Amino acid sequence: MSIEPDNNIDVAEQGSVVDRTLPESSMLKRALPHFLLFAALISVWEFAVRAGLINSIMVPQPSAIGAAIIDLYFIEGTIYKHFFITLTEAVVGFVIGAGIAVALALGSSLSELFKRYISPYAIVMNVTPAIALTPVIIAWFGYGIGSKIALAAVISFFPVYVNTLTGLIQTDQQREELFRSLGASQMQIFRKLRIPLALPLFFAGLKIGLTTALIGAVVAEFAQATDGIGVLMSRFSFQLNMGASIAALLSMTVIGLILFYSMEFLDNRLVFWKREKRRTAVSRARARAWK
Amino acid sequence: MSEAIAIQKVKPGLQSSLATRRMLTHGFIFLSLVLAWEFASRAGLLDPLFFPRPSDIIASIIRIYITQGNVWYHLYVSLGLVLAGFIAGSILGIFLGSLVGFSALVRRFIKPYVIVLEATPRIAVAPLLIAALGFGANSKIAIIMLVCFFAPFINTLSGVVNVNEEKLELLQSLGASKFQIFRKLVLPEAVPVIMAGERLALTAALSGVLVAEFIQRDQGIGALILTYTRNLNMASAFACIFTLTLIGFLIFRGMEWLDRKIAFWNHEEGMTRVSAKRRERWLRRRRS
Repeated sequence: MSIEPDNNIDVAEQGSVVDRTLPESSMLKRALPHFLLFAALISVWEFAVRAGLINSIMVPQPSAIGAAIIDLYFIEGTIYKHFFITLTEAVVGFVIGAGIAVALALGSSLSELFKRYISPYAIVMNVTPAIALTPVIIAWFGYGIGSKIALAAVISFFPVYVNTLTGLIQTDQQREELFRSLGASQMQIFRKLRIPLALPLFFAGLKIGLTTALIGAVVAEFAQATDGIGVLMSRFSFQLNMGASIAALLSMTVIGLILFYSMEFLDNRLVFWKREKRRTAVSRARARAWK
Repeated sequence: MSEAIAIQKVKPGLQSSLATRRMLTHGFIFLSLVLAWEFASRAGLLDPLFFPRPSDIIASIIRIYITQGNVWYHLYVSLGLVLAGFIAGSILGIFLGSLVGFSALVRRFIKPYVIVLEATPRIAVAPLLIAALGFGANSKIAIIMLVCFFAPFINTLSGVVNVNEEKLELLQSLGASKFQIFRKLVLPEAVPVIMAGERLALTAALSGVLVAEFIQRDQGIGALILTYTRNLNMASAFACIFTLTLIGFLIFRGMEWLDRKIAFWNHEEGMTRVSAKRRERWLRRRRS
């Protein structure tokens, strides 16, 4: 059992719903039906709860969630501290996990021997649900922020490792021959061919890794913590204050969106040749600089 | 010709001896790591309270499986929940995914919600579900369903949407009906993608049940790990975690096997097997 092509299915084949066949029209025109649908859904929901069709303890009405959001963010303002704690845990954990993953993947791609002897352990780590380590990690790193960072690091390690390694060991025979025949050194081939080839997969891995890092931080907070969105959420839930709990959940969505889009932004910048618009912009800028 | 055969004959033997040598090296490295750990722990370099000795872990495995045998019940509870939640969640995902996939309008309106859902850590909804549905199996199954739903949903959607344009045009120009296009083009192209989603979902289901049990702390393998860790019985906690590694491995292999069986056209040897079978059937029919 080798770790490259096979495991990669679960990273590479994660589908996408982005539909590129839609015609481009003005932003407002496109946003309006969405907005109307959203408003209609919200009002149906609100009236269903008010009319007693839905139990308001289990599913609070939108106005209660809105009030809880205003309360948490503007009146009390208690959520910011928890927000940044969870964000920090996820990001620091991700940086550690992804850093180790990239180092190991680089080593594995450069040395066949290294890869061969490290791959069984990587496989074992992959098939173990990393979440199972939560109690153990809490025992090791304590109740504070350390255990959350550690779990986020452990959980975000594997997607980054597999994607980076897969990206680095894939070869493009023809281009490599072209490089050789033009007299490129080993270093130049690595720098100009291997790394650019690996970058798209690498970023796909980073995106998955970031999302899972957030999951790791939150689950560790559920298990044992004093601060963080996860704690806030479980506290509100067990007080049956569902409006506030959903408000906390939505702020987790905000964290997820921030993380995802910052990665997307980096991806856009660094892997510019995969996107038409960015590619033209970059090549124009380079042409200007060359002149 | 004979030379080629001779080379082929030699090669497998050579490869297998190389394979055994590699296995031996792997085993040797593993054993020396374990021994180093054991001795470091005995020499007092590692705190056995936090890093249990390999010998203690083995003793715990024997205890929880054979002497005390308490792990079976918890495994039974957890895996039953995983199965129930996985089946319900993934069927719902495939159903809704194909429903949404067939209408461009619905797809357009649902897209923002999908993006928001994708950014939210699904498992974070666990406390909410427990509060809404109460302690016990109901909320656990709901959590697993939620965790399992998304990957099959997205993958079904993208499998149904991303149909090969050229093949579609070919089928249309040959006068294929809508059903024929679905049966002969959309389905064969979507199934491997859906299977990949199912694999993700089953792995997620295992994590989901653990989180649900960590929060509820009543029974199941997650609660068992939590209890052992609380009592600082780390060796037993590790024994449970290695059990989960084994289950994870079985899930991985099982889904691979299922993928080969169901989406056989995506694998070389499955293709040969099935086409040989069909050829035989065809020949038999022609003879009779």
